[in-house]
Amino acid sequence: MQGKGLLIGLSVTLRHFFSRKETVQYPEEKLVMNDLFRGGRLILNEKKCISCKLCAMACPNEALALTVEIDEQKKRHMKKYVHKSGRCLYCNFCVEACPTKAITWDKNYEIACYHIEELTYDAVKRNKEDENNEY
Amino acid sequence: MHEGLLVNLTVFLTRIAEFIFGNIFIAQLFIVLLEIVVIFAVISLAVIIQVYMERRICGLIQDRFGPNRVGPFGLLQTVADMIKLMSKEDIVPAKAEKLLWGITPMLLFIPAALVYAVFPFDNGVIFADIGIGIFFVIAVMSQGVLLFLLGGYASENKYSFMGAMRAVAQMLSSEIPIAFSILAIVMMTGSLRMSDIVSAQSGIWFIAVQPLAFIIFIIAMLMETNRTPFDLVEGEAEIIAGPFTEYSGMRWALFFLAEYTNLLAAAILTVTLFLGGWQGPFLPGISWFILKVFAVIFVFMWIRWTFPRTRIDQMMALSWKVLLPLALFNIMATGIGIYIYKWIY
Repeated sequence: MQGKGLLIGLSVTLRHFFSRKETVQYPEEKLVMNDLFRGGRLILNEKKCISCKLCAMACPNEALALTVEIDEQKKRHMKKYVHKSGRCLYCNFCVEACPTKAITWDKNYEIACYHIEELTYDAVKRNKEDENNEY
Repeated sequence: MHEGLLVNLTVFLTRIAEFIFGNIFIAQLFIVLLEIVVIFAVISLAVIIQVYMERRICGLIQDRFGPNRVGPFGLLQTVADMIKLMSKEDIVPAKAEKLLWGITPMLLFIPAALVYAVFPFDNGVIFADIGIGIFFVIAVMSQGVLLFLLGGYASENKYSFMGAMRAVAQMLSSEIPIAFSILAIVMMTGSLRMSDIVSAQSGIWFIAVQPLAFIIFIIAMLMETNRTPFDLVEGEAEIIAGPFTEYSGMRWALFFLAEYTNLLAAAILTVTLFLGGWQGPFLPGISWFILKVFAVIFVFMWIRWTFPRTRIDQMMALSWKVLLPLALFNIMATGIGIYIYKWIY
């Protein structure tokens, strides 16, 4: 019948009119990033870290500047774990290179900042700050 | 039939004005001016609501929310847009016919607003219940064509001019099916007076008696008001914005205003002719009227966001080869129907 398609079209749009909306109301509600998402800042688990520097060696852009200290018992400690995220290309090689799975992404996508210095941060220092904030 | 709420209000205000001015003539003149102001206020408010509605319905159909940030539920979005448009720079094209170009947006609003004089908003609430009401509507509504042509011509822009030519072609070919579909209604009521047409529907709405005329009228009205699927006048993909191409800021806002005023007029006309006007049980007439009008506007918007734009030749073919013969057939059928009806009773 002529015009049947028009009615079908109208029914489709009416169904969408009442259906669930896809828009995420951004500042109020945020999308949860999936497991494969690479981005944000690196989180260093200092208990797992063996200070082997393999992550820094894997980095193609030399975005990681690590300072390792060896104490009297010849144990290695991570003093500074500086991630220059301005240089980082988020290739995930550091995370893959880690033998103890000590580094992960925090999956935060709101990393835009006003000053270039804010791009560089120390993961160890951040851990300490977080500890201080918790207590 | 109950006396409308607004009629009593008008009588009350007339008494007050008479008391203040001490002269019945001045009091009545004051009331007439007040009514004009009220009509303009109603138009402006309705346009703001319609623009919000349009964007909201568009969003909801496309699985979005639409404007929901400015004010509660985004209700003030249109107001914000209007402020933006008013504060924009007034750009006049160097080669335009400045006078014609400048007055066109203002003139365009006149026929759009003039038809509201004969719309029955409630029982007895009608600015001018003239004997040729519906004829007046058809005559005045078609004046808009001239101004589209004027605006397109004065812009000195090929897209504007092309859009203007299209506007003329489209509106001429939509006027005739509209007139013929209305003629069937007029044949049944035997009167051109708007209030008579409404009161003739106290038993049964004309949509039930004249379904074919209703469909023809709706399609032709979509053409007349330049709404998708027949918005060829401003078809963005082909001719940028048609006659509005060179207009910006406040002048463009006036075009926009006239467009939505026409849409509201189309909805009011549909309600008056086919959906029983202000008539309905329980609620006062004006609320039935508003409900029906916005239901019709919703249907118009629903259609707009469902169908893609037609080609100009398809539209012309639909109008002249399908709608016009159908409307003529409908008139003949109505005539035969009336004859049989009179013969039986």
